[in-house]
Amino acid sequence: MKQNKAFFLACIISLLGISSCETIDCTLNNTVAMTCNFYQDGKAVQLDDTLTVTAVGVENPLLNRKRGTSSMSLPLSFFNNVDTMLLHVSGENYSVTDTVWIEKTSHNHFESPDCPVNMFHNITAVRCTHLFIDSISISRPDVDFYEDENLQIHFYPSAD
Amino acid sequence: MKMKTYRFISILLLISLLCPVAWGQSRKDNKPKEKAPLLSGVGVGVDVCGLAMKAVGAKFANMEVSGRIGLKEKYFPIFEIGIGECTRYGGETTNVFSTRAPYWRIGMDYNVNKKVNGNRFLVGARYGFTTYKYDFTCPDLTDPVYGTVRPLELEGLKGNNQWLELCVGFETRLWSIVRLGWNIRYKMPTMQSYSELGTPYYIPGYGRNNDTAFGGTVNLTFDVGKSARKNGQKPLFGNLFSKKNKETKETKAKEQTTAPTESAPRAAKRRGQ
Repeated sequence: MKQNKAFFLACIISLLGISSCETIDCTLNNTVAMTCNFYQDGKAVQLDDTLTVTAVGVENPLLNRKRGTSSMSLPLSFFNNVDTMLLHVSGENYSVTDTVWIEKTSHNHFESPDCPVNMFHNITAVRCTHLFIDSISISRPDVDFYEDENLQIHFYPSAD
Repeated sequence: MKMKTYRFISILLLISLLCPVAWGQSRKDNKPKEKAPLLSGVGVGVDVCGLAMKAVGAKFANMEVSGRIGLKEKYFPIFEIGIGECTRYGGETTNVFSTRAPYWRIGMDYNVNKKVNGNRFLVGARYGFTTYKYDFTCPDLTDPVYGTVRPLELEGLKGNNQWLELCVGFETRLWSIVRLGWNIRYKMPTMQSYSELGTPYYIPGYGRNNDTAFGGTVNLTFDVGKSARKNGQKPLFGNLFSKKNKETKETKAKEQTTAPTESAPRAAKRRGQ
């Protein structure tokens, strides 16, 4: 009978022990950013010139004087339906700016009270001016924690 | 995660296969098998663990009651209904998640213990479902591009979940019609739908919103029926009416001791005749 009681109590204690365990599972990469890759002649290309990206109406650039890059990650606004961005490319003898309009819908995303709240986006349309950008295509409209390519920015074909 | 699920199910199956064998072996040495009636009992129970969690102010608690019938002391169709509630504050954030909603489970337990001795080793399954609303509040959101700040309060988000539970438990008679038991449950979601704005942290009746979840209950059950009273084994904490029993035993013993003195003159008469 004593064995029965001990067994019963041990089981209850272990049950309470199981129920009291808790872990915090937040996503390690919790940055939401739109990933854009550069293409020329249908191939991925590295931009040797200096690239600066700013949002219209904001002084601080989103990307400042980056050189030798083949991609860029840009944050999107939380509350605007359309983000207007200025892509400024400058070389030794020239300086060109193209404007890109990104139409999107945004929605909140939370996983746990322990994790920060984020905003996910869905890109619905993209248009731009064509000074050095030939075209922009959407490869993945969902902008979330995954760093997969969202936009393909195609430059004009090379003169060669 | 799938590997873990398969491993657990295989262990569970192994236990359920081995237990009847072990019981069968021990039965050979004991008394002949006792037959239980078709409707062996009706029970109403309450989960003590959930009430205790609520009393100590735990982050979440499932408060539930259950009703079941016993068929041949082997099969126990069961219905469980409860209220699950959770108010969870973020550890490093000031986010708050809260919900409070009812849930239901239906299922059946199978008593692996073949002896009708008051102890039950139960293996069973449940199907649970709930429809609920949940709230989420967090500090103001700051736009990463324009720096504008807006408050965020998400209230009344709707969720709907269904899940399957595999249970293993043990139950014993405390005294009279009162039984105490526990069970461990392995839960697997079968259907889930909730708001796109965010996944719920806690699902009433299921627990934390994970791919799989462990849970358990400690049940205090009031079992009324033939098998509940006709238990061969002594209850775990003795019989409430033990004084009465002692008295009846003592009077019987007295009667037995007085009986030979009364029969002595009769025997003498017979000898004389």
